[in-house]
Amino acid sequence: MKIILDGKEVTAEAGRTILEVARQNGVDIPTLCHVPALEPAAMCRLCTVELIENRRARMVTACNYPLRGDAEVRTDTPFLRQGRKLIIELLYSRCPDSTVLKELAARYGAELGRFPEDNKDCVMCGLCARVCERVGGNVLALCGRGVEIRVDTSFGRTARHCIGCGACARICPVNKIQIGDEGAERTVIIYGKEASRIPLRPCTSCGKPFGPVIDLSLIMERAGETKVPAFNLSVCPACSRRNHARRLAERHFEQYEIEPRETGEDD
Amino acid sequence: MNTATSAAAVLSGVKRFVGGQELEQHRQALIDRTDPNAPRILVCCGTGCKAVGSLDLLETMQNSVAASGAAIKVMPEVKRTGCHGFCSRGPLLTLQPEGLFYQRVKPEDAEEIVKQTVIGGELVKRLLYKPQGAKESIAKVGDIPFFAKQTKLVLKRVGRIDPFDINDSLVHGAYKALNKVLNEMSPDQVIEEIKNSKLRGRGGAGFPTGLKWESCSRQPGRHYVICNGDEGDPGAFMDASVMEGDPHAVLEGMAIAAYAMGSDRGFLYVRMEYPLAVQTLTRAIRQAEELGLIGDNILGTGFKFKVSVSTGAGAFVCGESSALMSSLEGKVGRPRPKYIRSTEKGFRDSPSNLNNVETYANVPEIILRGGAWYTGYGTERSAGTKVFSLTGNVHNVGLVEVPMGTSLREIVYGIGGGIPNKKELKAVQTGGPSGGCIPIPKKFLDINVGFGKLAEIGSMMGSGGMIVMDENICMVEVSRYFINFLVEESCGQCTPCREGLTRMKDILTRLTLGEGREGDVELLEEIGKFTNSFSLCGLGTSAANPVLSTIKYFREEYDAHIRDKKCPAGVCKPLYYYEIDPEKCTGCGLCRAKCPAKAVAGEKKKPHTIDQELCIKCMECYKNCKFDSIKIM
Ligand SMILES: Cc1cc2nc3c(=O)[nH]c(=O)nc-3n(C[C@H](O)[C@H](O)[C@H](O)COP(=O)(O)O)c2cc1C
Ligand code: SF4
Ligand code: FES
Repeated sequence: MKIILDGKEVTAEAGRTILEVARQNGVDIPTLCHVPALEPAAMCRLCTVELIENRRARMVTACNYPLRGDAEVRTDTPFLRQGRKLIIELLYSRCPDSTVLKELAARYGAELGRFPEDNKDCVMCGLCARVCERVGGNVLALCGRGVEIRVDTSFGRTARHCIGCGACARICPVNKIQIGDEGAERTVIIYGKEASRIPLRPCTSCGKPFGPVIDLSLIMERAGETKVPAFNLSVCPACSRRNHARRLAERHFEQYEIEPRETGEDD
Repeated sequence: MNTATSAAAVLSGVKRFVGGQELEQHRQALIDRTDPNAPRILVCCGTGCKAVGSLDLLETMQNSVAASGAAIKVMPEVKRTGCHGFCSRGPLLTLQPEGLFYQRVKPEDAEEIVKQTVIGGELVKRLLYKPQGAKESIAKVGDIPFFAKQTKLVLKRVGRIDPFDINDSLVHGAYKALNKVLNEMSPDQVIEEIKNSKLRGRGGAGFPTGLKWESCSRQPGRHYVICNGDEGDPGAFMDASVMEGDPHAVLEGMAIAAYAMGSDRGFLYVRMEYPLAVQTLTRAIRQAEELGLIGDNILGTGFKFKVSVSTGAGAFVCGESSALMSSLEGKVGRPRPKYIRSTEKGFRDSPSNLNNVETYANVPEIILRGGAWYTGYGTERSAGTKVFSLTGNVHNVGLVEVPMGTSLREIVYGIGGGIPNKKELKAVQTGGPSGGCIPIPKKFLDINVGFGKLAEIGSMMGSGGMIVMDENICMVEVSRYFINFLVEESCGQCTPCREGLTRMKDILTRLTLGEGREGDVELLEEIGKFTNSFSLCGLGTSAANPVLSTIKYFREEYDAHIRDKKCPAGVCKPLYYYEIDPEKCTGCGLCRAKCPAKAVAGEKKKPHTIDQELCIKCMECYKNCKFDSIKIM
């Protein structure tokens, strides 16, 4: 397969996406809605490049276009730069305090503030919904009709089957999802609205709430497993570490038949 | 006579056909039984006529015929049919075999028609069609230009048969082609024939149907045959009329496609807003299954094809092929981002062939008469005919089928009867909401309507919407209207379409309110250019067409809105006012009488004036003035 990437001939494995091939060859195509671990959704369109295949030129998104034969790819033409500039400007009005967008704006000379701000606190990359479906409790989805599309839970209700994994908050490129533990509960907040609230289980050792109560069967089902493994996280990480250390120490003292010295209360 | 019982009576003697010969024998028996010269009263019960009361007309007509039974020599059959096409004149009624055409018929007229025409052999003059400006009425369908100038291939049975009675379709040749295909042709021969016909998809993109079938048939795995009956374009109803008026043509086309591609399963995706189409199709499928024309072991050949109707919730974007497949799978109807054809991986990731209703309806006749016959219609690159829904400022609103390559002049003036109220034709909009506006006076009245030509001048064929616009249509407002429609129908997943169109809508709304600024047109062009090339699906990549084409051809109108704060067409309310030309005003007082806001004042026989404070710009005076003295300023 002969690929000409921005004028240079490169080799590529059939089926690889343009983005993968470009990155392998040190060509940086901007992306916003893509992470390699998730199926691409090609929503932001920032990675649009020009593809010439069979002497036909067209615009495709690099993140999900699989190269299957000889092709020429142009990733940085004036037209593409202008288009990306416009996309950044449009997205910026949805989410004016985003660092990622400011960086992209600097790179493409975007005029921030060209469109009136309508703070939606979201660039609609869909990553949170996709990661939630893939690794979380499948709580978040792109809801709403048309341009009013938004990330939400089923029927906008506070979800209970959230596993509290926090992947959504972690993946959000504009840091607009808050996840917090308060008392014996964990909440996920999107657009200032409570998306999910789940109980935290108390540590059997120290009694403090520490981790979400998870319905494992859901995850097993998705993984195609029938037997739920013994997943018995009943001790918080701090206690777990301490218990482990104590066991080690005990074994050590037993070995040398040393009487451990009494210490005060923990922590 | 009740058609349902008559169908049942004939059907009761027939079980499933176990061979093609049986089908033909049954057909012959039906034909022998029907006297072509027997009187028949066809009542149009298409959606348009139904809306103006044709079901009541059908019932009173049946009752009137039954009541005068003794006086009638040969009892006419009163038949419920699909759309006759001349919707602006509904309810419509045709009397066969003479081919008499009555329009705007009310239930009260039924008795008179029976007495005067059926029994007395005289015309009811008042119900005849009189073309605009003509002195004489026209009695026969064949003499009415609206019908005479059309070429009906797809619509040939629509409006003539009872869509609820499979026997009526059989009399008119349904399933002959399927029989031929199953008994005389190999799948490859079928595909070859369709390729020879140069049939191109009627859903908008105009992809060659034969090629699509071929590439689908070559894929491994279970194949699906899907019909796109979503028809989301505002004002379009050609697919509806085919599904409602001749459901068996669509089913037969799909069955032939299934045979050609080795499929055993089909779906008709019909928008929920088409309850009549859902009803006719569901009934048609059941009747065809009972006769062994659809379902298991079709015509005893072992070929199996099961079809079902699936309803969509009326989202325009669900007409897009990948969104349609998602919706059919029960998922949200959003276009899929994958770069893979549905013929390879479509419905349930299996090879799926999607065609438009009209595309399938073309198939049986091509099989029967051959691809070469089909290329005899239309042009080199666009073969066959196309059904357009002709609407807007034109006398004859309705469905028209013409060979591809027919000029706009012929469609708008020849068939459409021209522009009402002595107005000038300004533009023709084709291609649905993402088509373009073709300026008429300047150049394009004689262009030949085909896939290539329309694309060349910045519009498109789309599924066949055609809106005629006169001088009182504002192009900025037209853009705003279509963009607004698309903003509402966008699925919202990709940035250029979701954000870009919303911004365009905001700008256009500002323009129509007189708040336009220098640079707005350039900004519209910029956004349009990039939504057209950066969007994910066909909705986004064609959405800017109405804006770009109106800017291209009617730039001065945009400038008038922005610089002079004027709407030359008199549509955008804050941007114009009416004034009475004292030279022309005769003081007849009609406008004064019509004005709902009492804004017109003046003495009889003296020029009147309009109080701008009171005027609500409802256009009543403008529309009613017989002396052309009201000016848009
Ligand atoms: C936004 C959008 C809406 C569409 N709506 C329809 C529709 O209502 N009916 C239709 O037949 N095709 C529609 N299409 C075209 C279909 O995607 C597809 O091309 C067509 O059904 C294929 O059939 P054909 O080859 O017979 O034309 C639409 C396309 C787009 C992008
Ligand atoms: S172009 Fe519009 S309709 Fe199509 S995928 Fe993008 S947002 Fe959805
Ligand atoms: S990164 Fe490819 S479309 Fe967003």
